[in-house]
Amino acid sequence: MKCGGLFCLMKHTFILLLFTISAAAQTQIAGKVTDEKGEAIPGANVVIRDTYDGTSTAFDGTFRFTTEEKGTHFIDVTFVGFKSFQQQVDVKGASIDLQVILKEDINQLDAVVISAGSFTAGEEKRRTILKAVDIATTAGATADIAGALNTLPGTQKVGESGRLFVRGGDGREARTFIDGMAVLDAYGPSAPNTPSRGRFLPFMFKGTSFSTGGYSAEYGQALSSALVLNSKDKADMNQTDIGLLSVGADVAQTIAGERSSWTGKIQYTNITPYFNLIRQRVDWFSAPVSVESSTAYRRQVGKDGKDGMLKFFGNFNRSNLAMYNHDIAQPEIKQLYDLTNTYGYGNGSYQQSLNDKWNVRGGLSYTYNANDVKLDGSPLGEAEKGVHGKVVLENSVSDNVEVRIGTEAISRSYDAYRDTLAQKFYETVYASFAEVQAYANKHLVVKGGGRVEYNSLNQQAGVDPRVSVAYKPGEGGQFSFAYGRFRQSAANQYVRVNNNLGSERAEHFIVNYQVVNDNRTLRVEAYYKKYNDLVKFFNGDVNRPMSNGNGFARGVEFFWRDSKTFKNVDYWISYSFLDTERDYLAFPYSATPSFASKHNFSFVYKHFFTSLKSQLGLTYSFSSGRPYFDPNSEKFNGSLTPFYQDVSANVSYLPRNWLIVYASCTNLLGRNNIFGYEYAATPDANGLYASRALRQAANRFLFLGVFITISKNKSVNQLPNL
Amino acid sequence: MKTTIILIATFVLTNVFADKYTDQMTKNIDAVYKAATIEELQNAVNSFERIGGAEKSKWEPFYYASFGYIMIANREKDAAKKDGYLDLAKGALDKAAAVKPDESEIVALEGFIYMIRVSVDPASRGQKYSSLAGQAYGKAIGLNPQNPRAHALLAQLQLGTARFFNQAPTEACETAKKAVALFDSSRPESPVAPMWGRGMTEELVKNCQ
Repeated sequence: MKCGGLFCLMKHTFILLLFTISAAAQTQIAGKVTDEKGEAIPGANVVIRDTYDGTSTAFDGTFRFTTEEKGTHFIDVTFVGFKSFQQQVDVKGASIDLQVILKEDINQLDAVVISAGSFTAGEEKRRTILKAVDIATTAGATADIAGALNTLPGTQKVGESGRLFVRGGDGREARTFIDGMAVLDAYGPSAPNTPSRGRFLPFMFKGTSFSTGGYSAEYGQALSSALVLNSKDKADMNQTDIGLLSVGADVAQTIAGERSSWTGKIQYTNITPYFNLIRQRVDWFSAPVSVESSTAYRRQVGKDGKDGMLKFFGNFNRSNLAMYNHDIAQPEIKQLYDLTNTYGYGNGSYQQSLNDKWNVRGGLSYTYNANDVKLDGSPLGEAEKGVHGKVVLENSVSDNVEVRIGTEAISRSYDAYRDTLAQKFYETVYASFAEVQAYANKHLVVKGGGRVEYNSLNQQAGVDPRVSVAYKPGEGGQFSFAYGRFRQSAANQYVRVNNNLGSERAEHFIVNYQVVNDNRTLRVEAYYKKYNDLVKFFNGDVNRPMSNGNGFARGVEFFWRDSKTFKNVDYWISYSFLDTERDYLAFPYSATPSFASKHNFSFVYKHFFTSLKSQLGLTYSFSSGRPYFDPNSEKFNGSLTPFYQDVSANVSYLPRNWLIVYASCTNLLGRNNIFGYEYAATPDANGLYASRALRQAANRFLFLGVFITISKNKSVNQLPNL
Repeated sequence: MKTTIILIATFVLTNVFADKYTDQMTKNIDAVYKAATIEELQNAVNSFERIGGAEKSKWEPFYYASFGYIMIANREKDAAKKDGYLDLAKGALDKAAAVKPDESEIVALEGFIYMIRVSVDPASRGQKYSSLAGQAYGKAIGLNPQNPRAHALLAQLQLGTARFFNQAPTEACETAKKAVALFDSSRPESPVAPMWGRGMTEELVKNCQ
């Protein structure tokens, strides 16, 4: 057919028109975005992947946009707090209707977390109960980790020890882990009845998790408590820190590179000048002197340094003290006690993500701790060497389920000597553990697993299950429950006498209610703990330890923290009620041990005065009387000491960015606290046993320090270190 | 003749596409600067993320997405949510940095994120994040000494430090004056280049007298 005239023009126009329309043919995509409950999500981003085309959802969750794209495309829908949604669509002109349901991403900040038994402190983690800096600035603690944790519920103040005593457990039952690796003796040596300090300073750690029960299957050889410390990552800048203290001096140097950093520190402590100034109840021959050096190395591994981290930490310490012990009945008879402690700790750990799903970490730690004593010149002592090796694999099965499996071995060799006598043992504990944590949704999380252990010395094997559940009904509070079985080798001084002693065992039941919101925390916890296979002496004979002791502890604890109500003020209140008895060691029958006090109360107050550039800290501590055994009375551990009370204060003054002046004093009111009584071994002529009160070495401890930081960046100081 | 038409067509087409980017960007940049509510900011951020998905060789879309999230974090009262938005800001900025790693503007904005992190909890975060912010500003100035925003943000950091230690903000004032001079002298490289920061810096200088 020929084309011509008007008709032809029309035909061409038609074709042209058709072309134009098809070029501009738009597809309309519309729909609605809701959550799983059907609630509209406004502000969600809807987009055709890799194109400009898309929109944000309106107030009612609806969206509508047009596109000129053609063919097969992906539509992505994203919104904060939800998993992203994607769907393939065929874009070919016909309107597309899309009903999108976004699933909640439960790795979000307001999701339920397992909280029974544990206090977690980390700088980065939000909504934690206690931060690293809080530990460092608590009055009365003098920057000692255990000292600060002693203001939390679940702990009992045992003023003459300085260690953590958790829920009716003795100081040995709380174990410290650094980067997952066991520390065999985490406390420095101290004179009798003076509190020992932790060997590790709080500023070394970015996170602290203090568990008073029901902890993860990863942690073994601890009956009562796990203190899990995570060391800091790579340092960001070069700096030199100098500390001038009333009891010594320290200097530290940090060198930071692109992917690695190194820190070295040397510290010298000598308390002689202080003791010359402030009278002590201890008859010192030579006051404690110690030299300590530590080093830390960190290296980021892999592409961009984000795939893994290698950490090494080493610490060496040597200290000496010598004092006269006076006889209780005849004080003029005295004996010279001279203690030299040599301590070394090395810890290497490595962590790497293998891919999106798998993460592997492992480590090796070595502890050497030797106490060499001379009693009026005659030698006795003990040395413990330990190696801990561990490998852990973690797998994110899905966003909601994580599996952790691991295996470890802790080998210890122990030697004790007295004059020419020697006793030793060698023990290896092999263990494997597996644990699954599963989120049903953001309201419910369950963690369950177990630990299998075999002890080469007593040839016992055992399985210890651990379970925790947490439920958060709404936005506010959450309920948790934890159950676990725990075991720990008996104390060295008994194992060395009887190598077949079984492991001591404990079982924890914990219920917890906790609300953490916007700088206020309320936590209430109740627990029941059962002890089995505790060391007990056959017929009261210390040389015949057996494993047939038992005991229990139960209690209720309360914690309130508020850093919101009063400006520049942060305070917390803890109260613990403890009812415990045990039938162990030389106990004739079940009784409350002398380290357990029924009521413990702490009030910690911190106030920052901007105009004075100072922070003031006050801590009030109270413990009800502790039982002691008076051989002049009938009942075992039937007497009670007076209550313990202490008001401590500290002041940090920051006149310049690089300078801090720090002062602290314990027991401002000068109360004469009595921890218990010692009795003479034999009665006097009247048939009475002479007694002596166990008291603080001095009523108060004063501490002064000046801390200087030298770095290129002037806005840095040691504040978080104090 | 045919070649000419193709050439013209190509030119026109390219121009249309170039315009689409600039057009969309300038519209949303304007929106993020003027936004009065979190919703408006979120919408602008969403647009930047869409543009960023389509324009894989441009760093600006994710830079502004990050900036938008920082502005949201600034308005958010709840500490945990604030941190969440700052995480999103950092995530978007990482995408921008993947396109152009040594861009002074990106590095300066990273410092801004650290600075807002401090405000969530100054007592426990001050040391770490203010030094990270300081480092970032130093690096940004090193990459481009003429970047007024790097100086302007550094001035804010110095002001915060001076206030914390109750000192005279002499250093902050000097840096701010330098930043204002740079705002005067610098010419934006493109219509989508960052322009913000002048107002807060002039405000700082005004309080210096």
